[in-house]
Amino acid sequence: MTTFDLLLQQTINGLSLGAMYALLALGFTLVYGILELINFSHFNVFMIGSFISLFVLQGFGLSGQEVILTGLPLVGVLLAAFVVTMAFCGGLGIVIERITLRPLRNVKGPAAMITSIGVSYILFNVILLTVGADSKNFPNPLPSIRWQIGGAVLDFRVLLIWGISLLLMGVLYMFVQQSRIGKAMRATAQDAEAARMMGVEVDKVIMMAFFLGSALAGAGGLIFGLYYNFTSFIIGFTAGLRAFTAAVLGGIGNVPGAMVGGVLIGLIEAMGGQFIATAWTDVIIFSILVLVLVFKPAGLFGRIAPNKS
Amino acid sequence: MLLEFKNIDTHYGDLHVLKQVNYTIGDGEIVSLLGGNASGKSTTMKTIMGVVRPTRGTVIYQGEAIERMPTAERVRRGIAPVLEARRLFPRMTVFENLEMGAYLRKRGVEFDQDLERVYSLFPRVKERRNQIAGTLSGGEQQMVAIGRALMARPKLLCMDEPSMGLSPIYVEQVFDIIQEINKQGTTIFMVEQNANMALSIANRAYVLQTGQVVLSGTAAELRQNPLIREAYLGELQVAV
Amino acid sequence: MNGTAAAAVSVLTRPFARIPAAWRRQALLAIVIALAVTFPIYHSNDADVDAMANAAAYATLALGLNIVVGFAGLLDLGYAAFFAIGAYTYGILTAFQLQPEWSAFWEPFHFLGLVAKMPAEVGDGSVVHFTLSFWIGLPLAAGLAAFFGVLFGFPTLRLRGDYLAIVTLGFGEIVPIVVRNWSDLTNGAAGLNGVAAPRLFGWSFGVDATPYYYVAIAMVALLIFISVRLRDSRIGRAWMAIREDEIAAGAMGVDRTKFKLLAFAIGAAFGGMTGVFYVAKLQTATPEMFGFPVSVMILVMIVFGGIGSVWGVVLGAFILQLLQSWWLQDLTEWLHALGRLVDSDWLRHIDLVPSIELIFGLILVGMMLFRRQGLIPATRPQAALSIEQQQAEIRRGGFTDLKLQGLGGDARTGEAALDIQDVTVRFGGLTALHKVELMVPKGSVVAVIGPNGSGKSTLFNVITGLVQAEEGSIRFHGEEIMGLPDYQILAKGIARTFQNLRLFPNLTVMENALIGQHARLKTGTLAAILRPPGTRAEEMRAREWAMEIFSIFGNRLTPRTGQMVAGLSYANRRRIEIARALASRPRILLLDEPTAGMNPAETLELAEQIKSLNGLGLTVLLIEHKLDVVTMLADTVYVLDHGEVIAHGKPEEVRRNEEVLRAYLGRNAQASLAGVGTANVA
Repeated sequence: MTTFDLLLQQTINGLSLGAMYALLALGFTLVYGILELINFSHFNVFMIGSFISLFVLQGFGLSGQEVILTGLPLVGVLLAAFVVTMAFCGGLGIVIERITLRPLRNVKGPAAMITSIGVSYILFNVILLTVGADSKNFPNPLPSIRWQIGGAVLDFRVLLIWGISLLLMGVLYMFVQQSRIGKAMRATAQDAEAARMMGVEVDKVIMMAFFLGSALAGAGGLIFGLYYNFTSFIIGFTAGLRAFTAAVLGGIGNVPGAMVGGVLIGLIEAMGGQFIATAWTDVIIFSILVLVLVFKPAGLFGRIAPNKS
Repeated sequence: MLLEFKNIDTHYGDLHVLKQVNYTIGDGEIVSLLGGNASGKSTTMKTIMGVVRPTRGTVIYQGEAIERMPTAERVRRGIAPVLEARRLFPRMTVFENLEMGAYLRKRGVEFDQDLERVYSLFPRVKERRNQIAGTLSGGEQQMVAIGRALMARPKLLCMDEPSMGLSPIYVEQVFDIIQEINKQGTTIFMVEQNANMALSIANRAYVLQTGQVVLSGTAAELRQNPLIREAYLGELQVAV
Repeated sequence: MNGTAAAAVSVLTRPFARIPAAWRRQALLAIVIALAVTFPIYHSNDADVDAMANAAAYATLALGLNIVVGFAGLLDLGYAAFFAIGAYTYGILTAFQLQPEWSAFWEPFHFLGLVAKMPAEVGDGSVVHFTLSFWIGLPLAAGLAAFFGVLFGFPTLRLRGDYLAIVTLGFGEIVPIVVRNWSDLTNGAAGLNGVAAPRLFGWSFGVDATPYYYVAIAMVALLIFISVRLRDSRIGRAWMAIREDEIAAGAMGVDRTKFKLLAFAIGAAFGGMTGVFYVAKLQTATPEMFGFPVSVMILVMIVFGGIGSVWGVVLGAFILQLLQSWWLQDLTEWLHALGRLVDSDWLRHIDLVPSIELIFGLILVGMMLFRRQGLIPATRPQAALSIEQQQAEIRRGGFTDLKLQGLGGDARTGEAALDIQDVTVRFGGLTALHKVELMVPKGSVVAVIGPNGSGKSTLFNVITGLVQAEEGSIRFHGEEIMGLPDYQILAKGIARTFQNLRLFPNLTVMENALIGQHARLKTGTLAAILRPPGTRAEEMRAREWAMEIFSIFGNRLTPRTGQMVAGLSYANRRRIEIARALASRPRILLLDEPTAGMNPAETLELAEQIKSLNGLGLTVLLIEHKLDVVTMLADTVYVLDHGEVIAHGKPEEVRRNEEVLRAYLGRNAQASLAGVGTANVA
């Protein structure tokens, strides 16, 4: 393959990864925007979402590539998987918020963040201890349709992922911009006390942010499974690092920024993996994270500046 | 009587902020609470809105004791704030800010009516309705802040230092508008440092000094009272 | 507990309760030391001794992280990186990984015993085999780790807490990845083999755990000693000041950059040392030993034991390590036995050991929700005050009996102590101060008054270096100080209080006053640890000076010096803030609304105390809005409005000034208030 072909292929890959990271980053940034909390558990909700969707698909009798679906059955199964996964993960997010984070809402310092590390560990280890350390095969019920673009291959699966991600991101964006609760969320993120004085119930708004963010994380988990055809207890950490960097890069707390950041990180990972070496991708991503936080903490679009006055 | 503060004490930790504060606001009046630095004016506002709970005393609104009522409930019953230094939602548009003022109300005929009313009171706000609120000047933001509060169709409009940080031209405009709103039927409670301006439009006023009411009366009376100067400069000795 | 049980317990503990607290602590310490030293003797199972040695190693890691997180308040989530750096430094320099060709260059090292000459595996020549001694490796790795501590800490200096944590996490992950991928240096994922065991006088440690155990215990003891010494010294106080309130710390003379980097360096050094020990004991090193999970585990240990508490984190480390290596194992076997008894297949095969990380997660959540201070809290509970101690008398007339040497001493010569010319400060589009000119003559009291938002506090901030001015000059005793950082301005003799009180809430009254003296004390890190007579004398003098300052306020503060500041009354906290500033022996004292929140009696008392201080020659610049205080104290008054000086002069003149009245009462096109706009108000 020519270099151009490689570039094209990696752009296609990068956009798929980017879509997944964008969903994750978006959910993360929703919560940060309101609470200014780095919620470590978010990325293991993503991992759990992946397993939930695995169980749903297995429940439909799908495994491996034995059963291929098209048309209405495919839509039906995917819809069911997304709805169940997102609902479960959204619920999980609300439970986490209510039990572990709300009591600490007025405590200054890193207490809430440390707690979220603890929750993250709990989620991670519950899965590890129950499901085991081996990675699980994720069913691939998608028809294997490919298109050739120059020397690069465009898979139906990739288009599906793009489509679903764009749909979810679009819906979320519209919700945050246009709906009453969405505006309440934005108002609370910008001035919680003023919002309270307009009659906004800040507790409910925060719960909604956790629900939406966690639901998106769950969707991201399902997409991970569809893309990679496997899932494992460890995916939260790697994907989490990328998504976190994406949120920071885009401007932490900034919704469109998270989407742009996600795509950028996806592209960087794909290109980096191709042209440098996968081993060093982690270092590159971490370096971007450190450099952004040190030199341009507000990211590309963000407003919340992490410096002290 | 629309609102009454009865023997209100508030504390911040062990700091005694408001000390036995009493005042009343009658229906349709413009009542002003005056005072200099550290007099406790803002705490009064926050106590009405429910952000601060008094340690003693009661707040009676439309005959009901509301000092334990959550903020959203008070807004629902017709109390709306214009906050100190405006505090618009900086990254939302002017229109979205106005909308947030009507957060607890349904969309419909009444909403549209109120929006029209705000636009006619503040033509500049109408012009800039799709602009991001943070980019407006201080005076324009104040107009939006007042408009935002009016969108709640309040019975009682509570204003915290409406003249703060505004250039003299805007100060005049804002006070003219406050009078206009009052003429249209809204009761106004105004916490203000600029005694001159406040007394030019208020019916009655109270003067706070270090958390205590030291002077009160009609605006006309207070305008004649040389003790105001001393109260502001922190000199008025009051028996505790 | 029911009545008889409670009675029984109290009978048993009564003899112990009669021993004074200090003796009890000494006795407890002696018992612990005795048990620790004799452990391998009465517990001859080598696996157990090994487990204890590992636990001790983690205790040293916990002590290191405790300095960074507990003392200085810097949340480091990548601490394992320093563990790795120490480990691999020693590992590479003793294993067979690096084998450069032999040359004359290596002769001196060979002579010193640092390298050996070995025949090459391929060809004729010889290669170098590094044979770094364990005992040299310890300080070497500590030093190298400290270097990296500074390197990694430097970018985080201006970051907020959670962002600092993320950046340190980033560095903490980059190190093992680099290690894994730089195979030439580290043998990558396969790990280093052949790491040498320590040798003592020619005898190699071998595989028996006992000598390692003693080395580990010695290390723990040493690091506990260093931690405690640092904690109770000027260094530890500076760290805690930074942790409690960075801005106040800077205003009291703490060089935040230097002390943050010092915390990172010392914490990293502890980690590096432990790395050497750990790897020497295992005789191998792999990248997996140093990832994020290890950093988290150490964090869990200090959260569990008590963030900031030296003994707490040691206890936390031991408990959690032993949980992991002993008790879960034992519990698992017990469950297996139970399983055989009740014929449960599940119980027979359960394995609790992998659940350790789940337990860590539960501990983190549980501790944060229910016992944030940990098992052994860092802050000690306070003895309640007696009734007499709680009754404060109002002390009128200031103080005439105190000499307070070293405070003030400026005669009223008319020269300027503080000379502010043309200072303009802008924040974004807002002009906070505009061409402000203000002069404070030596030995005088100058007051600054003005309505809310007029720029008074900004003036203080620009004088003390918290805020930068765009133009103008500020001269202090003739020296230009604009542009200097806050801690240097304090050192020059300008001390301040804050309008909204910025005390160090979790420190005692005495500690707050001692931090005020930070710039005047000279104890450095080494002196803090070794505590030579000079240091001890300095500490004693510092405490005496603090007590002298406290006595200015009668008996309000003196009985409370051991109490945590957060529990004191508002008025007393105002006094402590003034005491803290005075402790720094300033030549000028900047007071920002010192009487705010005080009743008239307390206000008068404080005003007279300030007058007495001025009488000793202390120059005072005062922001105050109670005009009776101003009239009583001030020689000159400046009036600020909207960032500009609109009037200045003697207090009586200013009070009658129309401009001033208009500023306070509000401008209006038609001045209509009585007394405003007329020139003849009495």
